[in-house]
Amino acid sequence: MKLYSIRVKGHLGAMSLAAFPEMVSQQRGADCVLTGVLPDHSALFGIVTQIEALGLELVEIRLLVPNPDQSERKG
Amino acid sequence: MQGAYRVAFISARSEEDEQGFWLVLLAAFGASETPVPVPTFNGANAVDRALTQLNQNNDPIVIVIDDAHELTHDALAHVAKFIADLPAHAHVVLASRHDLRLGAHQLRLAGEVAEIRAKNLEFTESETRELLARSGITLSGEALRTLQQRTEGWAAGLRLAALSLAVDSDPEEFVAQFSGSNRVVADYLMAEMLERQPPHVQRLLLTTSILGRVNGELADLLADTTGSDSILLELEDANAFVVSLDSERTWFRYHHLFRELLRLELRRTTPDLVAELHRRAAEWFTDRGYMVEGIRHTQAAGEWQSAAWLLADQVFDLLMSGQHKTLQSLLEAFPRAARIDHPELALVDAALESTQGRFEEAAQHLDIAEREAEKQPAEEDCGYRVGIATLRLCLARLRGQLDSVIEQVNYLASPAGARRRSGTPLSGVLRATALMNLGVVEMWSGRLADADQHLREGAELSEKIEHPYLRVSCLSNLGFASKVRSFASAREHSERAVELAHRYGWENETIIAPALLTLAGTHIWAGDFITGEKWLARAVKLTPPNTNPPVELLLHIVSGMFHAGRNRLSDALVEFEQAQRMQSLMLGEHVLASQATGWAAATKARLGMLADARRVLAEASPERAATGELRNAAAAIALESAEPDEALAQLRDVLDGRAPIIHDFTLVEAHLLAAQAYHMLKNEPEVRSSIEKALALAELERLILPFAMTGSRELLGKLPRHTTAHAALVLEILDMLEGWPRAGNGLSTPATTELSQTELRVLRYLPTNLSRSDIARELYVSVNTVNTHFRNIYSKLGAGRRTEAVERARQLRLLAH
Repeated sequence: MKLYSIRVKGHLGAMSLAAFPEMVSQQRGADCVLTGVLPDHSALFGIVTQIEALGLELVEIRLLVPNPDQSERKG
Repeated sequence: MQGAYRVAFISARSEEDEQGFWLVLLAAFGASETPVPVPTFNGANAVDRALTQLNQNNDPIVIVIDDAHELTHDALAHVAKFIADLPAHAHVVLASRHDLRLGAHQLRLAGEVAEIRAKNLEFTESETRELLARSGITLSGEALRTLQQRTEGWAAGLRLAALSLAVDSDPEEFVAQFSGSNRVVADYLMAEMLERQPPHVQRLLLTTSILGRVNGELADLLADTTGSDSILLELEDANAFVVSLDSERTWFRYHHLFRELLRLELRRTTPDLVAELHRRAAEWFTDRGYMVEGIRHTQAAGEWQSAAWLLADQVFDLLMSGQHKTLQSLLEAFPRAARIDHPELALVDAALESTQGRFEEAAQHLDIAEREAEKQPAEEDCGYRVGIATLRLCLARLRGQLDSVIEQVNYLASPAGARRRSGTPLSGVLRATALMNLGVVEMWSGRLADADQHLREGAELSEKIEHPYLRVSCLSNLGFASKVRSFASAREHSERAVELAHRYGWENETIIAPALLTLAGTHIWAGDFITGEKWLARAVKLTPPNTNPPVELLLHIVSGMFHAGRNRLSDALVEFEQAQRMQSLMLGEHVLASQATGWAAATKARLGMLADARRVLAEASPERAATGELRNAAAAIALESAEPDEALAQLRDVLDGRAPIIHDFTLVEAHLLAAQAYHMLKNEPEVRSSIEKALALAELERLILPFAMTGSRELLGKLPRHTTAHAALVLEILDMLEGWPRAGNGLSTPATTELSQTELRVLRYLPTNLSRSDIARELYVSVNTVNTHFRNIYSKLGAGRRTEAVERARQLRLLAH
């Protein structure tokens, strides 16, 4: 399980957002940032495919590193 | 590009098997026979076929491959090969969402690629004006510029905007609002466009968005309405992202982006409706025999039980039309839990494993499927049982597990095997596949009469259901199976199979290997080595090693016969030993097993390896040792050891008809061996009588080969002509044996022989520039006659080409320098 943030160009309406039920959306300037926890790589590629299918412009994908204070430390 | 050129438009669809793509391509080139899929798809062959078809004329053609990004890795590699070898009169246009790994840099360097990127496709202001004008919309210069900038000249966006603008009372205001919005272009314009449509059109678009393709009837069903047909036509005319798929405009599909957005809107607004829509679509497709779409919608509706039954019913229809990938994707669409809950899917697993050559895994899945079938009353579902039985036979056929499996599945041949659940008739494809597999297994286990009948039924049925692949498969094997009837009918069926295969472009498909081998075998039996060799060479190419032991065994036997007939004993021995090895790979006894063993032993004896030869016989099982073929071998060994009495003792059961034999040719061979034994004993009346019997038996099918293999030339030559009733046959056999004289033991001698008078006459024209038809005119004979002479001359001189033949002829002083 990993936390990703995906930035696409433009503001997504209700219709487009329905394509990403597992993500939370936020408008940031001219872009829309989708944030969500994805189980694996396939899920991530699934989302990228959706972005492509909807003709959206992908700006950035970022793997969010959990706050070290909150995550378990592994020795 | 100038002048008229044809355009072939092919859309790559991700859910389709690659074969579908190539077949559409071939059909678009105007292949004479409608291309038909085969179960065993070979990409390289497909590329060859497409190029051959393309090279048949020089008319300019443009091949458009749309959605090229949907091509799989393999398919793309084949397309790249296709493009690399493209003739000059053909051009390929690839439309793709992203760059393809085509190895295009080679072509780019050669200046043979023109690339059109998104930037080139953007609409300029004037183009935008023209587009809108065509929809009857005029905008002020300011609004036009705004619209062009907001959509960044994106064609689809402009079309969407045009749809809304056409019905909007204030276009300028629409543009102003649009440019003020930050929303994604497609999202905004879709919502606007949909809102401006009348409610019944909205409903139609939303409900049918679950479909990959739609027609009026289906749209009426899903949208609970009537008259959808004309709405779809209007939408296409209005350029509203609806395109017809056929020239009659009955089937339509939506633009990908459009459909995607409609589906999202449907799920957002009426999520509860989705499953019901899929259910209705599933029923509609299944009722009309569109099984793949039917199964997909049944799965989408979440009705896993029905989907599992449907898929299990369709396994062979899909396999026999080469839709392995489709079958795989349908199976994978079941959630893990459903695959465990529905063991009938094990049949699908088994089928897929078997196509990949994983026979053990296939057998395991098949056991699970069978246990499931046993839980249900026998009359409940014959289709499923026939499917299991057919796959068992198919596995048995490929693994050479003969005989034993027939008992398990003998009900296949009974009328009960033709019905299935709810008494509806079994799928024709399944029944024909079952008959084909049953016939082949029967054939290799030596039940030739049963095999003949079942393969004949299978061929007739597949002709009726218009399944040429199954028909060719049945006919190809029927040739061998009907050898019991006559060589003539064996050849007829085999030639029919080969001819049909040619018509469908399957001349390189392995299914015709049995037919080619039957043709090779029957010609070699009749002493026609040149024709036999021609067929044999083709069969060798189509029989990859270690894939089909029963066919390979036949291949090695026929190859051995070919060498033995031309007295190349060492080569023959290698082949007969290979045939024996094939038998050892099989779990059951092959019909020709005793032939392989017998000839291997006899050939060793003739090569002077007497101890080896005896060992081969000693290792044979008692049943096999009792066969006519092995008795003949024992007699041959005795003759080589100069023990004529022992030879006659071995032959007694064969000549009395007590020893089981494969075919009359074993009997011909036995009489000839007896003649040799009597010759050693100086019993001339018995020599004559034995040869006479051999000739009488050989006459009907022209079984000339045994005379060559047993080395009976000398005896035959001494036979006084007036004492035989078969003088013509004797002459023919002697002619043939003269051609391939018996040489010393173990030496592979090059086949040289004198040219006939007519051949010498033709030979004189070889160094000239005259073509074959010119030579034919000179000699007052037909071109075919000249061709035959050429073939014989080349063969006798061991030449492959005209220049080689001239060179050889000069070396042999047949031609002046």
